Amino acid sequence: MTALLHWLTFLLSIILLPVLTLGTIRKTKARLQNRIGPPICQPIYDLVKLSRKGETISSTMCGVFRLSSLLAFADILVLAWLTPWLCFKPWAPHSNIFMVVYLFAFARMFTLLGSLDSGSAFGAFSASREATLSLLVEPAVLLALVSLGIFFGSSDLRVIFSHQTNQTFTDSAIWIAAGLAIFFSSLVELSRMPVDDPTTHLELTMIHEAMILEASGRNLALIEFAHALKMSIFFGLASQCFLRAFPQFNTFNVYSQGGLNIVGILGLALFVGLLESLIVKLQWRKVPEFIAYILSLSLIASLAAIGAGVIK
Amino acid sequence: MTVTATEICVLTAALLACLIVGSLHLKVNLWLYAMSTLFIALATAAAALEHSETGLFVIAILIALLKSIAIPKFFSWAIDKLHVYRDLGAIIAPPLAMHAAILLFSLSFILTKEIPSPAGPGNGWFGAAGGISLVFTGLLLMLTRRLAISQIFGFLVIENGIYVFALTQTKGMPLMVEMGILLDVLVGVMVSGLLLFKIQKSFEHIDVGQLTQLKEP
Amino acid sequence: MNFFISVTAIPLATVILSLTKLKVEQLRLVVPVMSWLQFGVLTFLSLPALQNNHSFLTFSVDFSIEKIGACFLLLTNFIAAASITHATCFFANEKLVGRGEDPQHEKLYYAACALFVTAMSFVFLSDNLGLLWVSIEATTLFSAALVYFSRDKHSLEATWKYLIICSVGIAFALLGIILIFASSQHGAIAGGSLSLRLLVDHANELQPKLLQFGYIFCLLGFGTKAGVFPLHTWLPDAHSEAPAPASALLSGALLNCALFSICRVTEIIQVSGHSFFATFLPISWGALTALAASFFLIHQVGIKRLWAYSSIENVGIMLVAIGLGSPPLFFFQALNHSLAKVALFLLSGNIIQSAGTKELKQIKGILQVSPSWGITFAAAAAAVTGMPPFGSFVAEWMILSHCGDLVQRIAAGVLLFALALSFIAVSLHVGRILWGKPKHQIAVLPTFSSTLIPLLLCIFSLLAGSTCLPTFFFD
Repeated sequence: MTALLHWLTFLLSIILLPVLTLGTIRKTKARLQNRIGPPICQPIYDLVKLSRKGETISSTMCGVFRLSSLLAFADILVLAWLTPWLCFKPWAPHSNIFMVVYLFAFARMFTLLGSLDSGSAFGAFSASREATLSLLVEPAVLLALVSLGIFFGSSDLRVIFSHQTNQTFTDSAIWIAAGLAIFFSSLVELSRMPVDDPTTHLELTMIHEAMILEASGRNLALIEFAHALKMSIFFGLASQCFLRAFPQFNTFNVYSQGGLNIVGILGLALFVGLLESLIVKLQWRKVPEFIAYILSLSLIASLAAIGAGVIK
Repeated sequence: MTVTATEICVLTAALLACLIVGSLHLKVNLWLYAMSTLFIALATAAAALEHSETGLFVIAILIALLKSIAIPKFFSWAIDKLHVYRDLGAIIAPPLAMHAAILLFSLSFILTKEIPSPAGPGNGWFGAAGGISLVFTGLLLMLTRRLAISQIFGFLVIENGIYVFALTQTKGMPLMVEMGILLDVLVGVMVSGLLLFKIQKSFEHIDVGQLTQLKEP
Repeated sequence: MNFFISVTAIPLATVILSLTKLKVEQLRLVVPVMSWLQFGVLTFLSLPALQNNHSFLTFSVDFSIEKIGACFLLLTNFIAAASITHATCFFANEKLVGRGEDPQHEKLYYAACALFVTAMSFVFLSDNLGLLWVSIEATTLFSAALVYFSRDKHSLEATWKYLIICSVGIAFALLGIILIFASSQHGAIAGGSLSLRLLVDHANELQPKLLQFGYIFCLLGFGTKAGVFPLHTWLPDAHSEAPAPASALLSGALLNCALFSICRVTEIIQVSGHSFFATFLPISWGALTALAASFFLIHQVGIKRLWAYSSIENVGIMLVAIGLGSPPLFFFQALNHSLAKVALFLLSGNIIQSAGTKELKQIKGILQVSPSWGITFAAAAAAVTGMPPFGSFVAEWMILSHCGDLVQRIAAGVLLFALALSFIAVSLHVGRILWGKPKHQIAVLPTFSSTLIPLLLCIFSLLAGSTCLPTFFFD
């Protein structure tokens, strides 16, 4: 019975959390711009509306376009099942750090293929930008996760994120540094504010949005949902890192841990909304500098992890 | 092993200094320097509490006022006057230099491991590492940057590192000596700051990379 | 307090006088008198130290002096007084060759000079390592004003290099001093001490590792200030761009200060018996410096750069003397080098003034222009390269004969080679300057006033070599 309940809550959070995260960001931005803004659940209505609409498909496209969004969605679903982004997952499978990172890259590859297949000029150049970004940010994400791996002596995310340690200063420092690195690199991975403005209307400055310009109807709904799910997976990992930096977190029972986890994800979404209202988009050639800062965070985390290992 | 408040402040200061290397914006550099120095002042205050020495409090206040407020204010004014807001570039790309600074930060832990620990709380290892790391960062800044003003920043960071080293490795330098050192550094920085204006006036730039008229043939 | 007033009163008076509305012509009469007075005062103060061999003369808590320090103190102030006296006639001659500088600059020069010399005096007077560092850093700051005298692009570049490189170098020396202080806190002296005398007394109880690291950093830092080989880049620039009397001060007095600091720190480590650090490092580094400088001497384009490199070579020799553990030997070499090099720099200033250029190729036939300059110049050059009747020959010969074990003998061989090479190079350049036909019209300057001080210095150098002066130091 409890197992069933677990499965149900997990399923519900896979469906609801991405939508709520996206809704929170939009709501925060609207409130900060003195607008009332759409209700938090608006993305659900949008998705439903999109899935009812018909589709326009250019005659130059081959099947790759439809297939790619489907495959990317499936890939993200697998990731949602694999990665320990929620601490109340009913069944924790073995999830290797490298596998997780490259499954994300795999999903991205499908999106790129889809945008190239559409044959539009915008699609092509945004694909090239997206590829550049993913190339740059990959070491940062990987190093951040690896630093945790080094510290806990395992390349299995499941083991890392369920570790019961007697917390010391270095533990907290590493958790926070890794969490910050994961969070900031997720901004790049998800094409959010300092790197790309998701609400821009100018195709020349778009990165992610230009890739899905040609998508419509159900296809667009799939892509949007996959993107939102990816966002909540990243925020879930980051928020868990921050939560585990507090020694008290391990002493809570699984329900309050799960509750805190969800609050953490929504809190990060709130923070992203705040960030997007307050800062401006970086110039394209400044983006590598921003990523370099993230990379240095990961570097600090991994060096601290190595150092802590040496001291022990 | 326990980490004292002084050591946490010192390590934070060292990490903030590493970030200076990563940006070419002079005002950002200045701001980071001011923050780093503020943490050093905090470390001094923490050390004063740990050793219960009132003399260190005076020095902490002096550092906070002079080095983390007065000097950044002066250079901020100089930057506005000179109309130079960005370094022209570095020999190594700034992000890479920052990564190098972080690697040197960890290297300094290895280098200072053998230093015998001073008396008092904490074993002084982290403090020594923070100090040496600041020295490395300052050297990196001086060696990679092209503008004269960045070289002064580098010197300031080196000086901070040496001060941190003194703070954590020795128990109380004589107050008179500390004051003399502080005064000398202040005057030196002011003199070089004023020289900046002269350089700008006669060369119409402050790029040290172009100051090569006296090179040996 | 009395001590402080007596050391700083006259320089402060000079500074105040030079910053008032006094006319430059009047100042030129007052300033040399003041500097010789200061020399007299310091002689009177340090007389007890000169008479006693091994005891310290304590002035106040952090200030004391012993024989070698007193010798250096007097040498520095003597050189300073000579250089300032010559400077007054040098600046008067600037007007004659039509390079009318702003009189304000000259007044500032006198003020900075007085402060610079006082800072150097405190290097020898302070017993506290921290105060010694402060004095050394102060010399950098004040002498920067001297290097920047001509206010053109070249001098600006030289000043910048000088200020930055020396400040960073000195910062490393501070790190070394802190390490030595930390080493004294490990049981040797309760609470630690920076007092050089105490450190020497307790040298065996200092924490060896910290002491060794501290020594290396001190050597590196003060070595930068002394212009030791890979860190010498500021030295030729600063010496060549400063006005001649200031170059003379930099070479004849400032380098001694830096080397004296090295000598004081070396003393600690020599007593504590780490022979690798105490002898091998300074000797090998000194020999290397001398060798490198002698190679640099071969093709030089500027007359003052030539003497600057010759100074670096002498710094190498003095460093060897320090490594041999013999401060008197070090002082004797410093004395002879300072006398001859100051004479050379002052004469070179005259030559540059009249020829209107610093380039060696443009300067020819000085013997024809002014025989008295030519002869003094030749004598001073001979003294600097270590020709027999002069003091440097005796000093260098003593240093070479002091080298005992294998490493020292190898260093001595290297030194001999460097000395020979520099002798050849310098005499080649000097020959070209003295003989030949003057290239273009050369301004005629008053001979007596411009030759007097260099000539006197040469005579002193000759006396140092031929009298029984050495026995005063080695008893």
